Amino acid sequence: MTYQIELENINKYYGGYHALRDISLGIEPGEFVALVGPSGCGKSTLLRTIAGLEGISGGTLRIAGETVNDRAPRERDLAMVFQSYALYPHMTVRRNLTYSMRLKRRSKADMERSVEEIARITGLESLLDRYPRELSGGQRQRVAMGRAIIREPKAFLFDEPLSNLDAALRVHMRSEVRQLHNRLNATSVYVTHDQIEAMTMADRVVVMRAGVVEQMGAPLDLYDRPCNRFVAGFIGSPAMNFVDGIIREDGVSVRLDLPGEAVLRFAGARPAGETVTVGFRPEHLSVTMAATGGNILSLPVGFVERTGSTSYVLSSTTPEILLSVPERFPKEQGSVNAQIAPELVHLFSKEDGTALL
Amino acid sequence: MRGNDVKRYGLLALALLFVGIYLFPLYWMYVTALKSNSEIFAIPPTFWPRDPQWIVMDVWQRMKMDVYLRNSLIIAFGVTVIVTMTGTGCAYVLARIRNRWMDAVLFTVLMMQVLPSSLMITPIFVVFNQVGLSEYPRLSVILAQAAKVLPLYIVLCRATFLQVPKELEEAARVDGNSRVGAFLTIIVPLARNGILVTSVLIFLQSFGEYVYSRSLITQRALQPATVGLQSFMGPNSSDWAGVMTYSAIYVTPILIVFVLLQRQIVSGLTSGALK
Ligand SMILES: Nc1ncnc2c1ncn2[C@@H]1O[C@H](COP(=O)(O)OP(=O)(O)OP(=O)(O)O)[C@@H](O)[C@H]1O
Ligand SMILES: [Mg+2]
Repeated sequence: MTYQIELENINKYYGGYHALRDISLGIEPGEFVALVGPSGCGKSTLLRTIAGLEGISGGTLRIAGETVNDRAPRERDLAMVFQSYALYPHMTVRRNLTYSMRLKRRSKADMERSVEEIARITGLESLLDRYPRELSGGQRQRVAMGRAIIREPKAFLFDEPLSNLDAALRVHMRSEVRQLHNRLNATSVYVTHDQIEAMTMADRVVVMRAGVVEQMGAPLDLYDRPCNRFVAGFIGSPAMNFVDGIIREDGVSVRLDLPGEAVLRFAGARPAGETVTVGFRPEHLSVTMAATGGNILSLPVGFVERTGSTSYVLSSTTPEILLSVPERFPKEQGSVNAQIAPELVHLFSKEDGTALL
Repeated sequence: MRGNDVKRYGLLALALLFVGIYLFPLYWMYVTALKSNSEIFAIPPTFWPRDPQWIVMDVWQRMKMDVYLRNSLIIAFGVTVIVTMTGTGCAYVLARIRNRWMDAVLFTVLMMQVLPSSLMITPIFVVFNQVGLSEYPRLSVILAQAAKVLPLYIVLCRATFLQVPKELEEAARVDGNSRVGAFLTIIVPLARNGILVTSVLIFLQSFGEYVYSRSLITQRALQPATVGLQSFMGPNSSDWAGVMTYSAIYVTPILIVFVLLQRQIVSGLTSGALK
C-alpha cells in the first residue's frame, strides 16, 4: 500500500519556535482528511509544508511514494485553495482557470475543452470573462476551486476555503466540495478550525494542538472515544461538560465535585480513591422525572436558552453543567434531573488529561 | 458652522498664497523669455510683456539644443533602464523577506540616499579614471546617477510590492510556476503602476542631473542640457531672455509629462497601487 501523501516525523522550526512536532500521517489515495485545531496550532503550516511553500526542518515527506522534501512546489503536482482564494486580480476567470495549463503550454483546443468542463461543474459558465473583483465571495470561491480541479493534481490542499462565506453558503458548499471530491476520486487535505466542517466532510479527522497531532481517526470515533480531554472538548458542539471527581470504593462509580449526592456509574473499572476529570456530553444528558435511581444528576437550573428545536439548560453549579434538551424546556422550572447512560461517561486523568476508560 | 467656513476659506487662501510663491519663479521664467532685453530691467517690472518676442527657434539653433537635449535624454533613459532592471528585484526581496538583517539592509540603502552628489563626485571621478571609464563620459554619468537614485527607486517600489498579497505568488508557484516566473507574470503586472510612476520620477530626476555631468563630461557634444545652460554665463553676457527661453524649452516637456501623469503619480506614491 503506497500512501498518496505520507508524512514521517515532520518537524518545522521558525527560528527557535517549534511549529510542527514529529508529525506522522499517511493519507491514502482518494481519502478526505481534515486537519482541525485551535488557531495557531500549525494547521496552515502543515499544509504549506506539504505544498512546498515552507521548508521542512526534519523528517520525510512522500507524495505518491516519492520523497519530495527538496522539491519546489511546482514539482509536487499539488493544487491548493487558499483562504483568501488568491485569484490573480489582473486575469479574467478564464485566464485564472488556465494559468497552470498555459504554463504547461497545452494546446488552445485542449484548454478550451477543460475550461468548458470546469465551468459546467462549478457553475461559472456565464462568468468566464469577468475579473475577480467583479465576482461575489461565493463565485470567487468557485473560481478558486475550479482553478484547483482543472489541474487534475495528485492531491488537493484546502486552507479554510469556506471561512469567508456566510453561514448558509458555507453549509451548501460543504456538501458541494465533498461531492466534488467523490466525483474526482481525489485525495484531499482540508484545513479548518470548524470541527463541524471537519466532522461532516472528512473520512478521517486529525486533531492538532500546539504543533502536535493529538488524535486522528474517523469522525465518529473521535466523538465516541476521544483519547484525551482536549480532543473531547474540541470535538462536539456544544462542548463536553467536565467535572472533577473521585472514584468510589466500588471502583465502578465516581463521586462528582458537585453539591448533593452526585454519583455517576461508568462502564469499566478504576482504582478506588483516584481523582479524575469526568466528562459527559450535553446531548447525552436526558431530562427525567425520576429524582433517584440509576445515574441521575439533580441540578439547579441557572439559565435556559431556547432555539426552537433545542433548549440549552445551564445549571447554576460550579462548574456549570450544560444540558441540550431536544424540546421546549419551561423557563421557570427551578431544577432538573438529568440521566446519562454509564457508557457515555468519560473519565480523564487529572494530570495529563488522557482518557482512562 | 460659520467658524468652520472662516477656517476653510482661510486655509484655502493660505494654500493659494503658497502655490503662488512656489509657481512665481516658473511664471517669471516664461514671462522673461518673452520680454525684450530693455523690458527685463524696466522698473517697475512689467508682469506681462508689452512687446512679446518669440526667440525659441533662434535659441534652439544658436545653442545647438538638439544635441544637448539628446544627451539629456540618453542619460535619463540609460539611468532609468539600469535602475529598473537592478532595483525592481531588490525592492521585491526587501518587501517579502522581513527580519532584522533586511531592516539593516534597508537602512543602509536609505543612508546612501543621504550622501550628496557633490560629496560623492570626487571619489567617483578617481575610480572611473582608474578603471578607464572616463573614455565613456556619458556612461560614467549614467552609472553614477543610477547609483545615486537607485535607493529612492528601491524604497518607493518596495512600498508598492508590500501591497501585493503574498498568497498570489504562492498560488502561482503551486500552480506550476517558478519563483522568477511567478514574480514576472503575477507580481510585476500587479505592481505595474507603482513601478511605472517610480520610473518616471527617476527619469525626470536624471533628466535634470547636473553635478555629475558637469564634472565627468568635458566634451561639449556630449553634455546634457543642464550643463549647456552654463555656456550662456559668460563674463559679459546678459542675454536673460535667451537663458529663460532655453530653460523654458528644457522644462516645458517635463511639466507636460508631470501634469499628464499627476493623478497616477500621486496615487502611485500614496496608496492603491493595486487594481
Ligand atoms: N513565518 C512565520 N514565522 C514565525 N512563526 C510563524 C510563521 N508562520 C506561522 N508561525 C507560527 O506558527 C504557528 C502556527 O501557525 P499556523 O498559521 O500554521 O496556524 P493555524 O493553525 O493555521 O492557525 P489559524 O487557524 O489561525 O489559521 C503560529 O503560532 C504562528 O505564530
Ligand atoms: Mg491557518
